[in-house]
Amino acid sequence: MRVLVVEDDRDLNRQLVSALTDAGYAVDSAFDGEEGYFLGETEPYDVVILDTGLPKMDGISVLEQWRRAERKMPVIILTARDRWSDKVTGMDAGADDYVAKPFHMEELLARIRAQVRRASGHAKSDLECGPLRLDTKTARVTLNGQPVKLTSHEYRLLAYLMHHNERVVSRTELVEHLYEQDFDRDSNTIEVFIGRLRKKIPPDMIKTIRGLGYRLSREVDDN
Amino acid sequence: MTTNSLAFRLFATAVAWTLLALPIAGAIIYSLYAQEVGTSFDRRINLLLTVVLNDTIDHGDQVPGEPKDVGEPLFEVTHSGWYWQIRPLDGRPGPTLGSRSLAGLSIPLPSEHNVEPNEREVRWANLDGPLEQRLRVAESIYVFGEGKMAQRYSVAVGGTLGEVETSLRNFRTRLTLALSLAGVGLLALTLFQVRFGLFPLAKVEKGLAAVRSGEATKLDIGLPQEIEPLQQELNALLKSNQDIVERARTHVGNLAHALKTPLAVIVNEARDDQSPLARKVAEQAQIMGEQVNLYLDRARMAARIGVIGRVTEVRPVSDSIIRALERIYRDKHLTFSTDCPPGARFQGERQDLEEMLGNLLDNASKWARSRVVLAATALAQGGNGSGRWLEIRVDDDGPGLTAEQMADPIIRGRRLDETKPGSGLGHSIVADLAHSYSGKLELARSEHGGLSARLTLPLAT
Repeated sequence: MRVLVVEDDRDLNRQLVSALTDAGYAVDSAFDGEEGYFLGETEPYDVVILDTGLPKMDGISVLEQWRRAERKMPVIILTARDRWSDKVTGMDAGADDYVAKPFHMEELLARIRAQVRRASGHAKSDLECGPLRLDTKTARVTLNGQPVKLTSHEYRLLAYLMHHNERVVSRTELVEHLYEQDFDRDSNTIEVFIGRLRKKIPPDMIKTIRGLGYRLSREVDDN
Repeated sequence: MTTNSLAFRLFATAVAWTLLALPIAGAIIYSLYAQEVGTSFDRRINLLLTVVLNDTIDHGDQVPGEPKDVGEPLFEVTHSGWYWQIRPLDGRPGPTLGSRSLAGLSIPLPSEHNVEPNEREVRWANLDGPLEQRLRVAESIYVFGEGKMAQRYSVAVGGTLGEVETSLRNFRTRLTLALSLAGVGLLALTLFQVRFGLFPLAKVEKGLAAVRSGEATKLDIGLPQEIEPLQQELNALLKSNQDIVERARTHVGNLAHALKTPLAVIVNEARDDQSPLARKVAEQAQIMGEQVNLYLDRARMAARIGVIGRVTEVRPVSDSIIRALERIYRDKHLTFSTDCPPGARFQGERQDLEEMLGNLLDNASKWARSRVVLAATALAQGGNGSGRWLEIRVDDDGPGLTAEQMADPIIRGRRLDETKPGSGLGHSIVADLAHSYSGKLELARSEHGGLSARLTLPLAT
């Protein structure tokens, strides 16, 4: 999952990037409204953390412009302005949630998980696909109740596929959602990690759809 | 009209002036009229005296002759009050003549009362005549005959003063009546003048009341040139008042932003470190954050004190907050229902109502199983005083609170539930805000099963 952090305070921005990276997200960051707007406009993020008091372009304007441009990714406003009038303004501009500073990082992470889940149409924090089960709160994966040990890259890949199970996910989409902006998109990393995942879960669960991408499916067929 | 009013002062001054001026004017008019009547009366008597004297001289220069053609019919009417008389003086013999009106009686003579003649040798006196008639008598002394035969005669004409007095009495009555009517008219006119003159001030009073009640944001009434600057100054004052509040709000908001971001950094940095120092820093930073919130709320409330005349319609505020909450809690698929009549208007700041409703609806949404109900009603009584009140109830169908818990959440700093995210200060902020408007927040068990938060606030009329 790929997250954009738009926060002008360098320390807080660094903390957010660090915490989100530790939680298994691919994170890009921006320090002003214009840079944030550009990234949100051009890159496919799963969630955006947006401060409102930004230099060059304020957060609410950034959000309004994204929505006008039909950018529908979930946006969590992170701001010190915690009056209800500010919250209503933010939500009316198209925000999906609102977190007031100072905040608990765990709370923010929970809100991000909820937004990712919601965007992919899941109601619960536990995702299931056949014998596979993924707890987004604890980042634990089990197969028929037995824990599956995954590296952080393997987890990211499996989590994305589980959020979008039964749907064909292209290699490009995986690259765009799992890696930061400066990732080398021509490398064969995705194929390598798909191969590794197939060794840890029933190999038929991840199907290669030629010319289109991959599909995680609970049903095993002959294709 | 009270005694301590401009209208009373103006009216009382006008009354005093009228009561003083009209009698003085009446006295002067009466005096001039009486003088004119007296002069005219004397002129008539003097004319008759001249006629009688000339007539008697025409009829003989040795002794007075009977005047034949005096031209005053009243001389012919017995005791008419108009008489002429010719009589020898110095006790010497001679003919004594008189008008028929005397009927054998005589009139008193000024010369007998030692009245000195005027420059035309005529003596004037007011004397008692026949039948106790008060007479104005003019007397001229003429010498008939020559040498030893010369004899002084008194030629006198008298007219009754009753005629003058009646005329003056009638005039006085009419004058008094006319001046009284003029006085009443003047007072009525003064009253109208005072009311008409002070009407713009009444308009100012109404305009200010409209500003205070929130129906208007500034004075916008047609005023006379003299007090138009007052309207401009009042509007400038209102604008300045609003600007000060807005500036204070901006500063408070900026302060919030300036403090909370570094606090967030400190808290997060400290949490990543498990050392005792880091734990202490995290704990103290948490307290600092709560203190910042507490004093920012107080600063916001203090900035609001003295703000005049704001009215906030409840429905648009609740609708916008519910719209936001529907997005925030969309996973819960909550049903929000609002029962808010069009006249439900809060006498206060929109931001404060947003803060109160936002916190109550947010708390209800956190706990509700499936529904949140907002209902606003006008009350005849409520809050901490008289006047009309607005009750806004926010109910949910969540687990609710025990009787003990219900007393607690309003205590500042106490979280309703540590497991639900948020500052945990929601209800205490609402209670403080409601109290600052002389209103109150009460918690009760809802008929829907959960908590019922009842907010009583001043109703805008």
